Amino acid sequence: MKLICTQENFKHAIHNCERMVSKRNTLPILNNILLETEKGGLKISATNLEVGVSTKIGAKIEKEGKITIPAKLIGSFSANLGNNEENVILEMIEDKLKIKSGANKAIIKGMSANDFPLIPSKSTKFLLELPSLEIKNVLMKVLPAAALNEARQELTGVNLFLGEGELAFASTDSFRLAECKLKISDDQIDLEQYKILSEKKDSFIIPSSTLIELNRIIAGDNPGKIKIAIEDGQIFFEIDGTKLVSRLINGKYPDYRHIMPESYKTRIVGEKTLLQGAVKMASIFSPGASGEITLKIDSPAKKTFVLSSSAEAGENSTELNFDITGPSQEVVFNAKYLLDGINIAASSQVAVLLNSESTPAAVKEIDGKNGEVLENFTYIVMPIKN
Amino acid sequence: MTNEEIWQAALGEIELSISKANFITWFKNTSIFSIENSRVILSVPNGFAKEWLENKYNLHILRALRNIQPDVKSISCNIATSRELPTEQSFKPSLDAVIPPQNTSPTYLNIPKPIPPSLQNNLNPRYTFENFVIGGSNELARAACFAVSQNMGRIYNPLFIYGGVGLGKTHLIQSIGNEAIKTNPHLQIKYIASERFTNDLIESIKNQKISEFKAYYQKIDLLIIDDIQFISGKEKTQEEFFHIFNYLYQLDKQIVLTSDRPPKAIEILEARLKSRFEGGMIADVSQPDFETRIAILKRKAVTQKLDISPEALEFIAQNIKNNIRELEGALNRVLVSAQLTKNVVDLTYTKKILSDIISSSRRKGITHNHILKAVSDFYEINPQDLIAKNRKREVVRPRQIAMYLMRSELQYSYPGIGEKLGKRDHTTAIHAYEKIANALKSDEKLIEEINNLRDQLYLLG
Repeated sequence: MKLICTQENFKHAIHNCERMVSKRNTLPILNNILLETEKGGLKISATNLEVGVSTKIGAKIEKEGKITIPAKLIGSFSANLGNNEENVILEMIEDKLKIKSGANKAIIKGMSANDFPLIPSKSTKFLLELPSLEIKNVLMKVLPAAALNEARQELTGVNLFLGEGELAFASTDSFRLAECKLKISDDQIDLEQYKILSEKKDSFIIPSSTLIELNRIIAGDNPGKIKIAIEDGQIFFEIDGTKLVSRLINGKYPDYRHIMPESYKTRIVGEKTLLQGAVKMASIFSPGASGEITLKIDSPAKKTFVLSSSAEAGENSTELNFDITGPSQEVVFNAKYLLDGINIAASSQVAVLLNSESTPAAVKEIDGKNGEVLENFTYIVMPIKN
Repeated sequence: MTNEEIWQAALGEIELSISKANFITWFKNTSIFSIENSRVILSVPNGFAKEWLENKYNLHILRALRNIQPDVKSISCNIATSRELPTEQSFKPSLDAVIPPQNTSPTYLNIPKPIPPSLQNNLNPRYTFENFVIGGSNELARAACFAVSQNMGRIYNPLFIYGGVGLGKTHLIQSIGNEAIKTNPHLQIKYIASERFTNDLIESIKNQKISEFKAYYQKIDLLIIDDIQFISGKEKTQEEFFHIFNYLYQLDKQIVLTSDRPPKAIEILEARLKSRFEGGMIADVSQPDFETRIAILKRKAVTQKLDISPEALEFIAQNIKNNIRELEGALNRVLVSAQLTKNVVDLTYTKKILSDIISSSRRKGITHNHILKAVSDFYEINPQDLIAKNRKREVVRPRQIAMYLMRSELQYSYPGIGEKLGKRDHTTAIHAYEKIANALKSDEKLIEEINNLRDQLYLLG
């Protein structure tokens, strides 16, 4: 193998792949990333056997070949290359890789590419083709609510539901839930396949770790389109030259729709930053473990209060001049769970919707133009029972 | 042969032909999905395994399968898409996606937890409160343990039980676990000896799995650690244990510990751990009184349907006082030999059988003269040489050994030992004792010699 590529491309590809490599591997080759020449370009691949990623970059190939080298080493090497316009020259000498870029030269000891895992490739056509930015926005909203605790495997992922004309992404750690819907038009999907797939199985659980990685890959101002395919317990993504494949989580996602209230009695609407500040402030004074804070809505007086008190710290209250519709309420929340929902909301104004002190409450976004409540994103948080 | 058996046999062969790391990586969680028309379809956990097994290991697998079923023609892989045990899933009541958090504790307390088989609780079901014999010496400890089993995490936490060897500590604390699991089979219970705990910790540090180690212990509802005194002096273990202890304690999870001495007396134990151990309930089990010993023997005799005269039981109880395990051992010994020789178990027979156990525990009538004789016989030297004032090489070592034995077996004072061995100075005796005691730690030949000498000594006595 001998080739020349730009330093920028090389760094980008290494950066995308190197993160994938996990630190604890039974198989030494999994600590490595694979470099191979393919159809007039350089393909760099890495996997931890749950997720596989490969990025293809343009390169001038002088001699074909492939080799694997330690991910950590090449990652640090490429990160420390000066940020200049130099090219990178790669050359394989027996089981070593010689890298030359500007004044830097390195010889890295590698391992045979024949032992590197084969990254699965899809056999069907792509199911969806969507603007990457839309997917990124959805992921930012649902990922924070996914469970970190692996006690219930299915909750560690994000549920993707293939609906009619829309996709629904949802995540929950059983204390709160985030759901985000994405309208899709017929030209964005492969209709025939979509129909077959959604009739067979319309709900898939994608590991959070995969989506976090996808989120990182979708970078820059105009990242283009993302293509998605689902088959055989696996999901495939393709953005520009980068391919990502991941297993899907086995199991049944809890039926979350029945806990989402159809309607709400009380609604408050106001500045996101004000509510954020009030909840944060209250959390400082809330009793340590449970983080209880109270949201008190006094409808006749048209006042909203965020209150907290604890035996150790004292007490605190913030008055908010929010727009109130419906009867008075007094509901106790866990500060962190409520705050997460407010943080996720991307609009400058947010709505909090309530029914009673023991039923699920919702955080929603407000359309900046007409002040209407937007229905495509819902964050459900359960009050603390007293 | 079932599919499972075929696959196990094939795996056994494949394992030999590839490296262990490869085997674990690629063949974990695989099984035979179906065999149809000499086509074998394997079920694999992910796409990577599918690609690898189909493209790289297909020949290995084919060869192994053909050795078992010669007609196998091809293999292919399916990615397992459903749970391995779908039935278990469907039996579970459907869980709500969102549950209200409780205001007391931020954990998943109200989700019924399935018991993963990996969380083996190590409990021996033989140990229960029902078959524990209560006596004055263990009344308090037993009551505390029983109370804990009925009301976990809320009354005595931590519960600290201490007492000498073989007095029933392990029986008591395992009973807590067995009792608790009877009332709530979903409880995560772990019984572990502190030495195992240390080893597991070291292992997890070695494999860089320390966080998994912690997470594992933090899931436990009832943690029982036996012989906690063994963590004294092991700083890292103490530290990790401290964190796990605090975590569980704050969630009101029950912790039960045993030791051979009270927390205060455990040397090299960090002060913060000591104070925590003392923060709950401390109960001791002491040596059983005569009546308890009799009761234990009777219970044992009854459960094993044995015929033994009350006088014989009394004799055993009178002579073996310190340790319940020895007590049971003595009873077993009598009964087994009675069965073999078909004798009636009465007082005289018992006396005869137990004579050596009992006499050796008394060590009556041995004096320094016996030691000198045994040593000089053993090393074939003149007894006078041991006492004489000379430093011939062949007598120096035996003389030191004689001094050592006088100290260790007869508890003579150092000046006394010097006096007996030719009016030597007491410092000589101290030096000799320490030198031999040190050498015993590494010199196996010496250990054997000393053991031989001891045997001779007690035969003479």
